[in-house]
Amino acid sequence: MAIANEAQLSVYRATLSRRQFVKSGGALVVGVAFVGPSLLKAQGFQAPKVTGAPFKNSLDPTQLSSWIEIHPDNTVLIRTGKSDFGQGSTFTAYRQIVADELSVSFEAITTVVAGHTDQTPDGSGAFDFLGRGTPNIRKAAAYTYQALLDLASERLKVPKDQLTAKDGVFSGGGKSIAYGDLVKDQQLKLTIPVSGDLTGIMGLTVEGNPPMKPVSAYTVIGKSHPNSIITSKVTAKETWATDIRLPGMLHGRMVHPKTLGSTLVSVGQLDKSKFPNSQVVVKGNLVGVVAPTEWEAIQASQQVASATKWTDWKGLPGNEKLYDSLRKEADWTTAPVMKSDANKGDVPAALASARKKFSATYHFPFMKHAPIGPTIAVADVKPDGAVHIHTHNQNPQALRGEIATMLGTTPDHVIVHTHPGAGHYGRSNGGNSGAEDDAVILSQAVGKPVRVQWMRAEDLQWSTQSPAAFADVEFALDEKGRIAGYQIDHYMPAFQDDRPIGAILAGLPTMPAPGGGGSGFTSSTANFLGDPWSYDLVPNVAERGHGTFQVGQKASPLAVGLRDHSMRTPGQYQQNYPRELAFSEAAALAGADPIQFRIDHAKEERLINVLKQVRDASGWSTRPSPSSGAKFVGSTPVRGRGVSAMFRSGTHWACVCEIAVTPSTGAIAVEKYTIAVDPGIVVNPAQLKRQVEGGAMMGISHALYEEAMFDESGITSRDWNTYPIAKMTDTPEIKVVLINNPKVGSYGGGSEAANALAAPAIAAALHDATGKVLRRLPLKRAYVQALLKS
Amino acid sequence: MVKIIVNGVQREVQAPDDTPLLYVLRNDLQLSGPQFGCGLAQCGACSVLVEGKEVRSCVTLVSTVANQEITTLEGLPARWAKLKGLSPDQAKDILHPVQQAWIAEQTPLCGFCQSGMMIVATELLESNPNPTVAQIKGAFTTSGPSPHLCRCGSYTAIIDAVKHAAVIMARGGK
Repeated sequence: MAIANEAQLSVYRATLSRRQFVKSGGALVVGVAFVGPSLLKAQGFQAPKVTGAPFKNSLDPTQLSSWIEIHPDNTVLIRTGKSDFGQGSTFTAYRQIVADELSVSFEAITTVVAGHTDQTPDGSGAFDFLGRGTPNIRKAAAYTYQALLDLASERLKVPKDQLTAKDGVFSGGGKSIAYGDLVKDQQLKLTIPVSGDLTGIMGLTVEGNPPMKPVSAYTVIGKSHPNSIITSKVTAKETWATDIRLPGMLHGRMVHPKTLGSTLVSVGQLDKSKFPNSQVVVKGNLVGVVAPTEWEAIQASQQVASATKWTDWKGLPGNEKLYDSLRKEADWTTAPVMKSDANKGDVPAALASARKKFSATYHFPFMKHAPIGPTIAVADVKPDGAVHIHTHNQNPQALRGEIATMLGTTPDHVIVHTHPGAGHYGRSNGGNSGAEDDAVILSQAVGKPVRVQWMRAEDLQWSTQSPAAFADVEFALDEKGRIAGYQIDHYMPAFQDDRPIGAILAGLPTMPAPGGGGSGFTSSTANFLGDPWSYDLVPNVAERGHGTFQVGQKASPLAVGLRDHSMRTPGQYQQNYPRELAFSEAAALAGADPIQFRIDHAKEERLINVLKQVRDASGWSTRPSPSSGAKFVGSTPVRGRGVSAMFRSGTHWACVCEIAVTPSTGAIAVEKYTIAVDPGIVVNPAQLKRQVEGGAMMGISHALYEEAMFDESGITSRDWNTYPIAKMTDTPEIKVVLINNPKVGSYGGGSEAANALAAPAIAAALHDATGKVLRRLPLKRAYVQALLKS
Repeated sequence: MVKIIVNGVQREVQAPDDTPLLYVLRNDLQLSGPQFGCGLAQCGACSVLVEGKEVRSCVTLVSTVANQEITTLEGLPARWAKLKGLSPDQAKDILHPVQQAWIAEQTPLCGFCQSGMMIVATELLESNPNPTVAQIKGAFTTSGPSPHLCRCGSYTAIIDAVKHAAVIMARGGK
């Protein structure tokens, strides 16, 4: 290859290097230079040096690796470690953000690479896509634009400040050049600085501060560009994780222990006359069956399960005793007590001197993420130790680290491909969704690719859950009916157990259990305060978080217990529900309208605005709760309304729920749901609206139905009858008010928060309708009926 | 060996008679529309049309649908083409109005349940071309062995899409 010259150019903290006159093609590729030694530190893996050997099976940090490629035909390719779980952001918002930063059209971005650990740069999970306004891909695009601008200025001999870019063409000084022509016949590599831990939950972060496009220059952001993956799914063209079939692949099904603390006594004999082609795999307490066909694997695993013997175990409190057991028996002293940044004043003094006092405890149950399809993975462990995993996983790089730890190898031996599948709502954001480690263990044992899919009951009974919590609230009102002092103590077990369950059962290495000495916030038992305080005008505030170990974990011989995992709006959900319901109760005690009461305690203009917008859009009439028609007896539905608010990921939210409750049955119907959202800049209005509607509906489901049931031995919710979720007839009229607020200057997240707003608003509406408050979720018939009879 | 007619094509399958239709469609015929959600006829992710009627393929033994017409998501365009009497050439690049509406309304979130949802929508609209919202809710909740469940909460988007599909069908598919 003829190389005419090599040059280097510094672009902010990035470096542009070039080789001109390659024979054909050419491109500008954006690679990564790692800063600091932290890459893969969790697994003790040595960080590759920028000038050293490439990190096998990852994007090469020195030669090729890519966030963005500009091609001679003016098309653009982007790569992201964040894979789509139904949020749609990688196919819409990411293209829009890159298009505006680069000044190209949405359509010019023809390829989005995501989900493959050997083809994407940054790791992290399928959450927080918009990165509080600056996702990695935005900075990568901003660097790329600066590099292109430098190239154009040099080529056209026009100063940079006289060039303007539009639709992938620079113009100025009477000349113009397309991006494709700038890169044609050249090898251009832009190396940008990043930091972080590739296989850690947060992945890598692009560093430096390249100039960003001013909001006023956006032309693509703000439009409802359609999501390309929707078309491929609707037309049956998509390859789902469930569709992956490798040559020679066997189907696997697991035989899970009898309880969450059972150990294996004896494995059932496989009936070879019925299942001649099946094979049983046993490793420690892990039992699986493989067969050439899926139906044989299912039947054979059921036959083996019926003959397999396990020890008994009873180490859980059961639903009825949960909150009592948590309060009285859990260890709340080992984890540090977390204190809010909002704490101020002297709450005890305020409580002592105020006119009206209030105290109450609020209870939040274990909930299942409950993906509509159970966990699925295909693993192929090759004789040379290379491991390929095809799955549907929110954090493939973290999974890679976990599988390497399990096998006692390094992450460079593991390649994870994540394909579309059922939404996980956070369950796999720390790296495993359930089936991956099972599939690896079975594949290694039989020497062939193995596909493992859990059955419905296993996916409810052996997966993690969103942790239960309770909160003690005390507040006092002054003589003007304003809150003089407010305190809340949040209690919640560890919220993120990322140990793969198959590895635990097989007795293979995993990261420590939460509170077991692991590093990072997800390994802690501390109860972090995640619900930013919204009511700045309350003079005395004390918020504290108390954490403990997972329920039953220490008592289980398997160290399993009720394993928890963050779920959509994690932690903040458990904290915002008591806060917002208590705020509605405070308004009632003060004889004030609950929206006006919130506004009167708020200083933040965006919060006040969403409250006013939701008030107007819902047709709210200003009055205190309960309503004058409140009734807690009879078989005629009574109506009520409630409000809630939240600030999350740079976004302000408020919702109003209007319900009808039938006192004699305890049945609640949400009739109308109005929600106002101010994320700052609205990137894609149609997509955001659908995300908000979905979140709202999931929240109604949580609020009315969802509670993971368990006895002393394990989860007893095993199907959609024993873990009911909302159905279409539960759908209210949903009204979404999107507030585009460009002066905020960034875009917030729209896929979380909405699911958490319904519960406190519906609970407040129940109070409005009946005069009685249920301080426990879910607001299911039996609990509501019992409350109204009390 | 069982003969079934899938999306207009006769297929002979070697799977044992007691194999649920879902595994035959997915594994033997490599169709990706119907999905395994529960295996219990409680969610509808696996729904297909058998002789125009929605069934849960996860609990339907393949031998019970021998020689019957089965339509999956993959077969919706051809089903519409047949209904409209289109020539193979005219039918080449079309989508069923339900699919068109699902795209236009940007209905799926994760999309795992949506094949089943589009199957129900097709069944509903073939018998009731202009359903009310209450009829739509009824069709997706009480018409089958269980409600059709969407965990992502796309019910509003589905209602919008069914109404939109009815409009497209009334216009003759455009």
